[in-house]
Amino acid sequence: MTSHRHVVCPASELGPGERRIVELEGSSIGVFNVAGTFYALRNRCPHRGGALCRGPVSGTVLPTADRSHPYGREGEILRCAWHGWEFDIRTGHALVDPSVRARAYPVTVEDGKVVVHR
Amino acid sequence: MIDCDVHNNWTSAEALIPYLAPAFREYLERGELPGERGSFPHAHRPWLHPEDFKRTDAAPPSGEAAGSDYAFMREQLLDRYAVDYAVLTGEEAIEVSTLANPYYAQALASAYNDWMIETWLPRDPRLKGSLVVAPQDPEGAAREIRRVGSHPDVVQVLVSSGSQRPYGDPFYNRIWEACAEQGLPLAVHLGGQGGVNANPTGTGPPTFFWEAHALLCETGMGHVASAIAHGVFERWPNARLLLVECGIAWLPAVLWRLDADYRALRKETPWLERLPSEYAREHIRLTTQPLEQPRDPDALWPALEDVGAGDMLVFASDYPHWDFDDPRLLRLPPPWRERVMDGNARALYGL
Repeated sequence: MTSHRHVVCPASELGPGERRIVELEGSSIGVFNVAGTFYALRNRCPHRGGALCRGPVSGTVLPTADRSHPYGREGEILRCAWHGWEFDIRTGHALVDPSVRARAYPVTVEDGKVVVHR
Repeated sequence: MIDCDVHNNWTSAEALIPYLAPAFREYLERGELPGERGSFPHAHRPWLHPEDFKRTDAAPPSGEAAGSDYAFMREQLLDRYAVDYAVLTGEEAIEVSTLANPYYAQALASAYNDWMIETWLPRDPRLKGSLVVAPQDPEGAAREIRRVGSHPDVVQVLVSSGSQRPYGDPFYNRIWEACAEQGLPLAVHLGGQGGVNANPTGTGPPTFFWEAHALLCETGMGHVASAIAHGVFERWPNARLLLVECGIAWLPAVLWRLDADYRALRKETPWLERLPSEYAREHIRLTTQPLEQPRDPDALWPALEDVGAGDMLVFASDYPHWDFDDPRLLRLPPPWRERVMDGNARALYGL
């Protein structure tokens, strides 16, 4: 299946930690800048169909065996706007169950522009 | 389609001041509040949601509280899902049940009711109202039900599932009597877990929010057993109990156990003439949200079928809360769908 190139915006308009939600061929897609690298996820949560990309971007509590709450991965985690499931923005995998995955699309920067391939 | 749990909100609880009995206005203007000015007087549950309990996409463009903007609610819920009727359940109003002062609690409930009737119901013929009452003041609650219960767009009386005692207790008889007289179901919505109300689980307080939230269904079980055992449905044959957001999967197990124990020990409650499950099927209704999610979605239904749940369940989305159920994605047994999404609520509310 061939994908289509969609120019979203100049890369300079989407700084680290920022996001933009765009309509591409009738699909709502969230484009994220995580520490200078761009990612795109379908704005539909694979859990229960919620507005995934409108939830908060944050870090997360890291796995630990002791009774502490180590925090990390700041800016890499997207939390669904509805039921709060956490997803890795870079892969679309749900943290609690990696077999649940939001549709992720390749993103490139071409001539200074963010391009989503869908 | 009828959505039986839609949370209409205010932008500030000070919206209630003009509707509040004069003696209590200054409580909101100058009195102590649980938060900043404009917060609503109530005792908060000891479990705080670490991400707040609203959908983060439900905040209206104005930035005001989720559920406070009718136009945004219309777009995001009523029109998007082609809702025929939305039963408004307020946001914090049912938390009056947590207050120690029953007179203040009832005054706040009355103010909410007048505010809701005046500022929400006229906006859209699809909106139906719930009368909030303070259950710790049964006489005042009954007066309130008689004061506004005949409003044509009011479809039920509403209290929190958190309570000082289960709602079949004769302490609440005046509330049941007034509901029956007005032909209104008594809806019991998850909430009111704090203040003067009983701990919602029998083992003592859970620790974490998700742990507690999953177990709050226990309050629904207590009200079902109590209303049946005390003979509410014998004494007031048109009484209806609606559990809102208390879960559904536990219902068959609890009804089977009630039937078994009643059969052996009916001498404790000689006023009953039928099995507990028979009263339940005729008089008790439950909202579907948040629908339990077994690994195999179809595993949910066989036991529910046994107790006749196809006639007892009514759809609710819980908009704009975090555990919203999308009506388009809700998986129901095909023969139940029309009843659960529409028919059962129409019959319950006489719509």
